[in-house]
Amino acid sequence: MKKAILYINQFFGQIGGEDKADFAPVIREGKVGPAMEFAKNLQADITYTIICGDNFMGSNTDEAVKTILDGLEGKDFDLFLAGPAFQAGRYGVACGTICKAVKEKFNVPVLTSMNVENPGVEMFKSNMLIMEGANIASHMRKDVAAMVKVANKILSGEQVGPATEEGYFPTGRRKEVWLEDKTTAADRMINMLVAKLNGEPFVTELPIPKPDRVPIAPAIKDLKHAKIALVTTGGIVPVDNPDKIQSASATRWGRYDISHTMRLESGVYKTIHAGFDPAAANDDPNVITPVDALQELLKEGYYGSLHPYFYSTVGTGTTQAEAARMANEIVPYLKEDNVDGIIMVST
Amino acid sequence: MKLEIGNFYVKDITFGKELKFDNGVLTINKEEALAFIKEDERITEADLYIAKPGDKIRMCPVKEAVEPRVRLDGRGLFPGYEGELVRAGEGTLHAMKNCSVLVVGRHWGGFQDGVIDMSGEGQKYTYFGGLNNIVLVADTNEEFEKREQQKKNDALRHAAHRLAEFVGKCVKDLKPEDTESYELEPAIKRDPKTEKLPSVVFVMQPQTQMEDMGYNTLAYGWDMNHMLPTYMNPNEVLDGAIVSGSFMPVAAKWSTYDYQNCPAIKALYREHGKTINFLGIIMSNLNVALDQKERSAIYVAQIANSLGADGAVVAEEGYGNPDADYVGCIVALEDAGVKTVGLSDECTGRDGMSQPLVTLDEKCDALVSCGDVSDLLVLPAMETVLGELEALGRDGMAGGWAGDEILGPSVREDGSIIMENNSMFCGDQVLGWSTKTMKAF
Repeated sequence: MKKAILYINQFFGQIGGEDKADFAPVIREGKVGPAMEFAKNLQADITYTIICGDNFMGSNTDEAVKTILDGLEGKDFDLFLAGPAFQAGRYGVACGTICKAVKEKFNVPVLTSMNVENPGVEMFKSNMLIMEGANIASHMRKDVAAMVKVANKILSGEQVGPATEEGYFPTGRRKEVWLEDKTTAADRMINMLVAKLNGEPFVTELPIPKPDRVPIAPAIKDLKHAKIALVTTGGIVPVDNPDKIQSASATRWGRYDISHTMRLESGVYKTIHAGFDPAAANDDPNVITPVDALQELLKEGYYGSLHPYFYSTVGTGTTQAEAARMANEIVPYLKEDNVDGIIMVST
Repeated sequence: MKLEIGNFYVKDITFGKELKFDNGVLTINKEEALAFIKEDERITEADLYIAKPGDKIRMCPVKEAVEPRVRLDGRGLFPGYEGELVRAGEGTLHAMKNCSVLVVGRHWGGFQDGVIDMSGEGQKYTYFGGLNNIVLVADTNEEFEKREQQKKNDALRHAAHRLAEFVGKCVKDLKPEDTESYELEPAIKRDPKTEKLPSVVFVMQPQTQMEDMGYNTLAYGWDMNHMLPTYMNPNEVLDGAIVSGSFMPVAAKWSTYDYQNCPAIKALYREHGKTINFLGIIMSNLNVALDQKERSAIYVAQIANSLGADGAVVAEEGYGNPDADYVGCIVALEDAGVKTVGLSDECTGRDGMSQPLVTLDEKCDALVSCGDVSDLLVLPAMETVLGELEALGRDGMAGGWAGDEILGPSVREDGSIIMENNSMFCGDQVLGWSTKTMKAF
């Protein structure tokens, strides 16, 4: 029989509630908590259950992931399951984090389940199959059953079907499908046309994602007295990258004091962005974060003042949801200092 | 304007003493047919084959497909292209169904040429895998484009159209098994019942993006790069007014056969007087410069409004750059108050993660998707190859490659192939045959 390993948090692992959220990861032999529910119909034996506190995974991610990956070394498994995480945000992010790491290290299929409102969905849906789950744990049986259905397909090597049919969040992949009922494009066109003309419901075959447009801010009227800030997705950081911003698919950002910096010197600053040739930026970081030009213009009195920090993250592969979250974390600092305008340098 | 098409269903094709159609069997005198083809001095080498569904045959590089037909009034099948320039879309013609004339390069292929398999997994990927095909394999003296990725294929395309006409003559005096009749009353003179139905135009965007002449789709022999959108009767399209061009990755191509049999037009006709009032066709084109794209969209929307169209269907031949014409045209129609449905294929990349059309707009809320040009196909070797399989990797065919670090060459030593759907001859069947769609995974 094939083997599976399940990841759950401290609550479902029967360690405790919020007060035990700092619980360090352990790998228990056999089935704990929801593993029993999985075991009913899963075409694999759950050989181990991993339990980790949500806060521990959130605050000590690297350590938690390393402990679990090290513990899995040498263990034989065909599938890695996590959750279901329902609407629990930290738990969802933890499931996504560990599934991604396990998939990358062991090249084993992974599967989790979250509610649409769980932030883990946006963060990880392009990396793995996340079943669309309920919002609260009373739906455990239903969510586990949905996971088991897809898990058994993966275990038997059967093709997992389209997102809407299987009930997972679309990963961003679109592929060709032969229609079983062989309805021709001409007939589909007529059906859609007649429905649209008569105001009846129809389903487009190519849904256009809603553009998340931000209205353009009004122009700064008095630049001479305006406070300007520098923000970049070009990955310019102090050479030791103190905030450990990732080189791609970033989830972290940093801010660095430039109140006494006339220009960003090569060797003191560099780029950690993995999406372009870094040679020019490492040679002169100002080409991406133009501190030199802004200090010069400040001296000339072209604008009022420069916000004392620049803010940096990496744009390549970073999801829109993550980018928006980081922006929402940065904005209060800018508002607190009454910044009037931001120069957003992308690459 | 009434067009009658008498159908003759071809069940088998064979070579014999004389050209004839008898009891579903088409017999062709090969020597006579080849002598006729070689009347064009540009043809240096030619042979004729038969390829039927189930045969272990692969064809490559396929350049054009045409349905054999004959006009009972003796007029040429493709006015302005082969034969006298007269109006198409009226009168009676006889057509040989389940049958097409294919032309395949003896050696040289290009971006616009494709692959057809008559059996195995690849058969379903083209409409022509399911037809009884008369296959002309030929070479020409068009030295100037022998090594060009973009080929006009002028001699071979003319040969295909001429051969279809040559073969079709054998059913001129016979009685068809059944007859289709297409008649669209003048747009402002329709019965009250039809007038009450929502009115619809079909907007066609044939491929016309080559600035150099000789590659683009033709309307009565006229290069459609040099025209602005105009109103046409659907019968003109069904009756040879439009001749397919020779420019674009071939999965998105509309062959002349596709125009002659256009399923979208037939479906609109079928619904005419029942669920819609089919006003006719706005024949548009595809362009290179943004102002050209916008100008065509303005014309289309204006004609739709002037005709009083409530709805429209827009079909795009191609993908990539012309997606801008396609989306732009749909948006222009929606902005003009015309409820619009789109017909196209997509390009989502080998991993399926790329944006499906190069430009998107929320106003495109009713799209029919016919396939993915970038879908990767691995197909077994066939006993017989008509043409030259090496062309797939060697000649810059859209879905093939000479070598790849991971995938290896498109054409393998054992005769099996790996390619993108991009090189399937008219594979995405956007004019309406496609039983493929795209889904989110």
